[in-house]
Amino acid sequence: MNEATWSSGRIWITRLVVVVAFFSFWEWISVTRRVDPILIGAPSGILHFMYQEVFVTHSLLEDFAYTLTATLLAFGLGSVGGILTGMLFVMRPNIEAVLSPLLMALNSMPRIALAPLFLIWFGLGIGSKIALGFSLTYFIVLTNTVAGGRGVNPDHITLAHTLGASGSQIFRKFTLPSAVPVIFNGLRLGLVFALLGVIGGEILASEHGLGGALQLLAASFKTSGVFAVIIFLAMVGVGITFIMSWLENRLLKWR
Amino acid sequence: MTLMEKSLGTVLAEPTISGGPGSVVIDNVSIEFKAAGVLAVSNTSLNVASGEFVSIVGPSGCGKTTLLNLAAGLLPPDVASGTVLVGGKPPVRGNRDIAYMLARDALCPWRTALGNAELGAEIRGVPAEVRRARALDLLDKVSLKGFENAYPKALSQGMRQRVALARTFGLDSPILLMDEPFGALDAQTKLQLEDVLLGLWQRERRTIVFITHDLSEAVSMSDRVIVMSARPGRIIADVPINLGRPRSVRALQKDPAYHELYAYVWTKLEEGLSQ
Repeated sequence: MNEATWSSGRIWITRLVVVVAFFSFWEWISVTRRVDPILIGAPSGILHFMYQEVFVTHSLLEDFAYTLTATLLAFGLGSVGGILTGMLFVMRPNIEAVLSPLLMALNSMPRIALAPLFLIWFGLGIGSKIALGFSLTYFIVLTNTVAGGRGVNPDHITLAHTLGASGSQIFRKFTLPSAVPVIFNGLRLGLVFALLGVIGGEILASEHGLGGALQLLAASFKTSGVFAVIIFLAMVGVGITFIMSWLENRLLKWR
Repeated sequence: MTLMEKSLGTVLAEPTISGGPGSVVIDNVSIEFKAAGVLAVSNTSLNVASGEFVSIVGPSGCGKTTLLNLAAGLLPPDVASGTVLVGGKPPVRGNRDIAYMLARDALCPWRTALGNAELGAEIRGVPAEVRRARALDLLDKVSLKGFENAYPKALSQGMRQRVALARTFGLDSPILLMDEPFGALDAQTKLQLEDVLLGLWQRERRTIVFITHDLSEAVSMSDRVIVMSARPGRIIADVPINLGRPRSVRALQKDPAYHELYAYVWTKLEEGLSQ
């Protein structure tokens, strides 16, 4: 491993070449029908679809707005619920002892199997999607909050005791700040899983949203459209990760 | 008998059950952890006067930290017998008369050097302007001017322990209990910090009870060195250190009187080990 490190410019250019080569090859096998376009679509078809749906009919943007709203609501409710429950568990170990096994049993249920139930309870609209996203986010954030709350440095607790710190001071000045980085990891994962839950719910049954669009396009064999939505979702995922990392660097600059 | 032994003797302090502010009285104390079946400290008496700098040395596991934790009120109530008075009162956790310093710096990584230096006073409810002014002054005294806004990750081990010193002295407690605060430092940094500690102490002359296993550290800084035996810990020597004040730990390294005292304490410690 004595390879000289490339400059970032060279890495970017090479990356671009790889991407262009990949899509060119894809376009070529599709246009020359070496593989049936019904199976793989074509990059030109994807671009056309994206242009149409984003700039002409705006339907992709409308679906995106539905999905994003459901994701953010599921994430917000799930993470607030997860953090509050986690903090309760850290402060009251007896409550954790009672509830933890029950919650773990709930968490080990395949969540997508609950989707039909959520549809009965919350209908075809945004409610069932939020419920599914929430059911994933909540447990991830809860687990991380408990782990973070447990991870407080014992020296800090000794110091706090010699200073005569009250229970709430120990919590605010030691337990909570030392838990924040671990909770943040949970939030980052939680947001990705909120999106997963919402898309999953939309694919099963929905009137709006990217998952619904995906389902409709696939059912009518518009493969390029399916790929377009998938690529759009990938970009959303990258955007989410980017925003969370940015936020983390700003809030946790002491690390 | 050498001149040294005649002048020093081994004077166990006469316990007088009183003790004013700033004093620590330990009278006939035994500490037993019954669950583990361990007798940590056996029939120990020690008087520390207000303003005195006393070091306790002894082999690992001799109960010196346990004794300190007893005075700080950190032990469960039923493990100790005998009388302990800290500033004239029985030990209690969170006693405002006590500032406690640990072996590890215990800095909060999410607080700046200034925030850490303020932490103790903040928890004890000292008003923000007062504690900030004091923390800034102390950071200056421990030679950390310019590092007020640095986070611990950016500080060296020695600098972090300087911040911990500032946090400890930032409290207005008359008694400082220190549990091997320089134990994790390299020799060079240790000498520097010993002088920093002496400088801070000489300004205000608060009581210090200093736990260490480093004899040179104990002899060079203290008014008295208490030698404890291996477990169960007992006091086997109480050696006054008649070196002048103010002292410089680094200058003492060339002083023959210091080396004679060091050798004497070392003999006592060895006797304790062989018993």
